[in-house]
Amino acid sequence: MTSFDFLQSAEWWKGILSNAFGNSFWGFAAAAFGFGLLCWAIKGPDFVSDALFEDLQLLVDLMPRVFVALSIAALIWVMMPRERMAALVGKDSGVRGLVVATLAGAVTPGGPSSAYALLAVLAGSGADRGALVAYITAWATLGLQRILIWDVPFMGAEFALLRFAVCLPLPIIAGLIARRLPIHLHIKDTEDRPARTKAST
Amino acid sequence: MSAGLLTLLLLLAALLTLAIQQRQDFGPAVRRFIEQFGMLVPRMLCALVAAGFIAKLIPQEAIARLLGAEAGLLALPVAVAAGLIVPAGPVIAFAIAAVFAKSGASVPALVTFVTAWSIFAAHRILIYELPLLGPSFLRLRLLSATAVPFLAGLLAILVGLLSSFGQPLLTQ
Repeated sequence: MTSFDFLQSAEWWKGILSNAFGNSFWGFAAAAFGFGLLCWAIKGPDFVSDALFEDLQLLVDLMPRVFVALSIAALIWVMMPRERMAALVGKDSGVRGLVVATLAGAVTPGGPSSAYALLAVLAGSGADRGALVAYITAWATLGLQRILIWDVPFMGAEFALLRFAVCLPLPIIAGLIARRLPIHLHIKDTEDRPARTKAST
Repeated sequence: MSAGLLTLLLLLAALLTLAIQQRQDFGPAVRRFIEQFGMLVPRMLCALVAAGFIAKLIPQEAIARLLGAEAGLLALPVAVAAGLIVPAGPVIAFAIAAVFAKSGASVPALVTFVTAWSIFAAHRILIYELPLLGPSFLRLRLLSATAVPFLAGLLAILVGLLSSFGQPLLTQ
């Protein structure tokens, strides 16, 4: 099979590594160290070890999700009917496109690893800026899974319902604003679409 | 295993079945997986540790005092700012929301806080948004969505004028 040739390319692996451990990685590492020192100085060593232990628990919880979420996004990336997506949430989709994006955001399962990976897929498939903003805003504010797992047990069903109701129209408003903002949008990986030229019949 | 992970696994299984049925070429999918994994995971490890420390440093009680009903409209910007500086996932954010609720924060302030956190959570921007979509999308999204938590808070105030629906549970 030739489609796995990239795995043998030393240059490709070097690109992955330099991307993974680039400047921003070291920036994050420095921030982690700095805030750790600050925490030690202000709160004491017990808080530092508490925080590290909680981080570890979170990580154990998070890694399987990241694996599965990225696999899902990668599969959708190659399988998605791009032409149809563009018609559904593309530039000429109007308010209906924003409503579709909002619904999709509300039902997207999983945490940010799946939502942002899917957002990148959408961005690469011709969704317009309003739909992208509406999608991720809806996932953040209306995500049903988050509301059921977190809002309801922590804050009560009544509060969760109120928050859901007042947030319901807001992703669409954000999408409408996004369509009018004069910002040049350069999405990271729209260039490297997989070479899959499906006959556009 | 959590419900969230289970949902994701079921979705993955369904997609895999579909892909095999369609005789998809898995090369591009594997390639994209490795590329995104490399972009996300090393940064994520550091950002998680930094966020854990920041969460310990946030003066929760001091903020809660500014979110009471007597703060009125001023509570909204304070709640938005509080949502901005909680750089952590739902465990910590909702634990803080519960602290706010117990210290007498008003319902609109709580709505604003949770909404602002869900839109602006700094760790998500740093870990996922910048590496996967880039700075120009972040600018666009922040400008478009800045009004959202304020609008949510204002709508909650309007609802509060009509009824007392939406009181948080104080079980913690």
